[in-house]
Amino acid sequence: MACHTQACLRVESNMSSPHPIHPPQWPLKFLRFFLKEKYLEEIEGDMEEIFYDNVEQHSLKKARRLYSWEILKLLRPNLIRNLEIFQPLHQLPMYKNYFKVSMRGLMRNPLNSFINVFGLAAAISFCVFAYAFARWTYDRDQFHEHKNEIFLTTIYATRDGVLQQYGQTPRPLGELLKQDFPQVKKVCRVEDRSVIIKQRDNVFNERIRYTDPDFLEMFTFPLKWGTSSSLTDVNSIILSEPMSIKYFGEENPIGESILIRFDKERIKEFKITGVAKEFPSARSLDFNFLIHIDNLRTSERNYYFHDWATFLNATLIQVADPADIKIIERGMEKYKQLQHEAVTEDWAIASFAFEPLATVHLRTDAIREDIFRDGSDTNVKSIGFLIIICILMLALACINYINIAIVSAAKRLKELGVRKTIGATRKVIIVQFLSENIVTTLFALSIGLVLAWLVVIPWFEMLWHFSMDFRFSDPNLWIYLPAIVVVTGILSGIYPSLYISRFQTVNVLKGSVKFGHKNPLTKLFLGFQLVLACTFITSAVMFTQNADYLGHRSWGYSNRDVVYTVVPDELAYEQLKTAMDQNPKVLSSSGSAQHVGKKHLTQVLHFPDRALEADRLAVDAYYFKTLGIELKAGRTFHEAEGSDQQAVIVNETMVKNLGWGNAIGQQFRIDSTRYEVIGVVQDFHSYSFNTLLNPVIFTRADKKDYKYLSLKVNRGSEQETYESLKRAWAQLFPETPFTGGYQEDVWGNYYTEMGIHGHVWRVFASVAVLLAVLGLYGLVTLNVSGRVREFSIRKVLGASFKNIAANIFKQYVLLFTISLLIGVPLSYYFIKMVIDYSYQYHMPVTFFGVVLAAVILVVVLLSTVSTQVFKVFNSNPVDGLKIE
Amino acid sequence: MKKSRLGEFEELVLLTVAALQQDAYGVEIKRELEERLKQKLSVGSIQSALKRMEDKGFLTSRFGEATQKRGGKRKRIYATTSHARKVLEEMKEIRAGLWHAIPKLAYELKVI
Repeated sequence: MACHTQACLRVESNMSSPHPIHPPQWPLKFLRFFLKEKYLEEIEGDMEEIFYDNVEQHSLKKARRLYSWEILKLLRPNLIRNLEIFQPLHQLPMYKNYFKVSMRGLMRNPLNSFINVFGLAAAISFCVFAYAFARWTYDRDQFHEHKNEIFLTTIYATRDGVLQQYGQTPRPLGELLKQDFPQVKKVCRVEDRSVIIKQRDNVFNERIRYTDPDFLEMFTFPLKWGTSSSLTDVNSIILSEPMSIKYFGEENPIGESILIRFDKERIKEFKITGVAKEFPSARSLDFNFLIHIDNLRTSERNYYFHDWATFLNATLIQVADPADIKIIERGMEKYKQLQHEAVTEDWAIASFAFEPLATVHLRTDAIREDIFRDGSDTNVKSIGFLIIICILMLALACINYINIAIVSAAKRLKELGVRKTIGATRKVIIVQFLSENIVTTLFALSIGLVLAWLVVIPWFEMLWHFSMDFRFSDPNLWIYLPAIVVVTGILSGIYPSLYISRFQTVNVLKGSVKFGHKNPLTKLFLGFQLVLACTFITSAVMFTQNADYLGHRSWGYSNRDVVYTVVPDELAYEQLKTAMDQNPKVLSSSGSAQHVGKKHLTQVLHFPDRALEADRLAVDAYYFKTLGIELKAGRTFHEAEGSDQQAVIVNETMVKNLGWGNAIGQQFRIDSTRYEVIGVVQDFHSYSFNTLLNPVIFTRADKKDYKYLSLKVNRGSEQETYESLKRAWAQLFPETPFTGGYQEDVWGNYYTEMGIHGHVWRVFASVAVLLAVLGLYGLVTLNVSGRVREFSIRKVLGASFKNIAANIFKQYVLLFTISLLIGVPLSYYFIKMVIDYSYQYHMPVTFFGVVLAAVILVVVLLSTVSTQVFKVFNSNPVDGLKIE
Repeated sequence: MKKSRLGEFEELVLLTVAALQQDAYGVEIKRELEERLKQKLSVGSIQSALKRMEDKGFLTSRFGEATQKRGGKRKRIYATTSHARKVLEEMKEIRAGLWHAIPKLAYELKVI
């Protein structure tokens, strides 16, 4: 054999130069691992011969693939070596015994079993939940059949010196792409508009989507009724399921007609030719109403499809092969030239980019002005947090298991001694303990799965009002779950089994081994749990506090006594204002083209040395008074109509960003018009505390542009005035639906969201504390029950309650102190980091939360230990001494 | 017969080994059988059949020469044992007997 190996080596070294082609290495290594040694040379040689034959017949790639596949097919019972890990599989009866023993063990110590199983179940239910959430997030838009071939066309433009990505595209681009590139199979342009829809007595404001007929072929939105090709007809309209229900109930509306009022003069009748099936919940693109894009020619006075200077909401293309997108990207240069000739430098496109539909949900937060719903960015971050939390929860549960296993090992010494005497090796004992562990974890898994399915997931869905589509039929779930069982089973079982199995049989049976009580690792683990619990409680306290703080934080203007409504035009504004001004509860009223919290324009301000992007609101002279926006310097607009046309009022952020000493009198340019700053107002939050403060400018609104009427009302009469506003509207414009609301509500469900953050953390903290306490309780109980005789003797000899209490507490005081000393500062810095990361504006982080957490922990710990102290004190020493 | 039962596929492999004589090693057996059966076979199925039959005493084997193409690994040449040849003969006879029985049976069936 030895001489032969040499021959081998020689041949191989000869081979290396003429044959750079060789079989893939990984499968070969695998083959060498599993195949019986005596067959190796022959089969390896056969495989290699076949491989070179295949290389001659097919490509190298295919030959390699075939090779790997053949290797996999060699995994046959009579060819694989008897690996040691497979050996225990032949010992079925032994496993039956282990199973029986572990079931008896579980039954004998119901408390410990409960702590183990319940703790693991709780942790596993969080893991299942995290999985469901992650799957939901990454499944977004994956139901589209052509998800890899569809691309959103985006542009880059420079703003504030920063290159930014926009989802809009110049209007003619879509048609040109289809003409110029044979690779582009389909194109759909999308424009969104607000219209009024009337069907019999139903009149509502709605958003409709103008698009090319290819829309329904590119995106996988199957129809419930009707045909998707009907969209080619300019007179047809396709509804989403909720809209169909809103207007027609459960009936099939195909063939019915509805009226769309685009503006005052333009009304058109559409025939319903399709209703979409319910959209999957994990989507970032959908529609309410779809009509043919050519309708824009009639619905808008000045809509030119060939205008390079204006933008369209979105252009989506579908290519034959995803790789073709590179060719198209290279050919975009010519369009840039066309666009540059048409627009001012503000909107000059720096470059084009294509975003695949499959991954666009991860990018939409970075892309501005796109038609997609909120991106998955925050969800991806949440998944990160969830994973950390799940790992910590699992760690807590595993630690409980380890601690209890180590301490209760003393009770199983006899069993181990006997097993070892009749021939169990250390390895067998380890396998026994691990399999017991897997049994426990399996129990926990089934309970955890039910918990997740019936409690955790519905709870979370209820909080956020969405459906995660959690299904047991998901095949990946069944890979994930066994993985959890094996990992937690082994993690929690490996140390106790190693620890317990290492004792000598003779010593064990003689009873000279004392172990369990003094294991330093037990203390370390308990300390770790306390630190974690401390962090969780701090988080819960801080998030709750922060939600409360943000609830009371000032928006920078008075949002509580203002109501507003959208008006269609100047005339309507005048009529409504006159009607409302007679109401004695109305303190002041104001008209504006944009409105704080509802709408603003984004404009580029040009200074001699730089350009700055700012939010622009066109308002009248009474706007500041009505909304309670406080003036810091200078003056507001004059009341006389037509004055102050080139005057602007800016906010403090803008002054700060530009580093102006004195803002009054400063000048800048928008397009070609010069503006001069006449006043500075206090900063205010327009959208929510999540959005950073932007520079804001107010300009004088032209009366004909008024779109909003805002009313400041007597405090306390908001509701009453709002009702009278609605009544006045109904009287004046019975044909037009009313849109308006309380200024307080413009942030939508922001506060609810804040509240939910607090709620979620409180639940996490409760579970974490519960796990830690359960673990501690289990430990203390075992510890005390192991010392029953000692305590009984002490009591007989006259120990007082104080003696016994001191004796039991003594063991834990040092541990608690050290844990808190580590836990408190750690929690403080951790939570500071998390809060800074999650909120743009938040409360000052104080020590209150940490101190409260420490107090809660100490109280919980003391009461846990006290229960045992009382138990010992109240027990009869005679019973204790009679044991054994 | 009972102790040394041959599967259908095993029988085919065994016959191939007998036919190939000195060339009867893994790759060649696979090639020959694939040609005759007109279907692809995996190395695993051939090898496990060979090993099984070797354990049952139908085959013996020895190392053959090593070639460059095999990366310097030796072939294993298989040969049938006399026991195997006897069993093959028996099988053939049983089959032939059955074949002889068929026309009669078919005829009788037709009558009914």
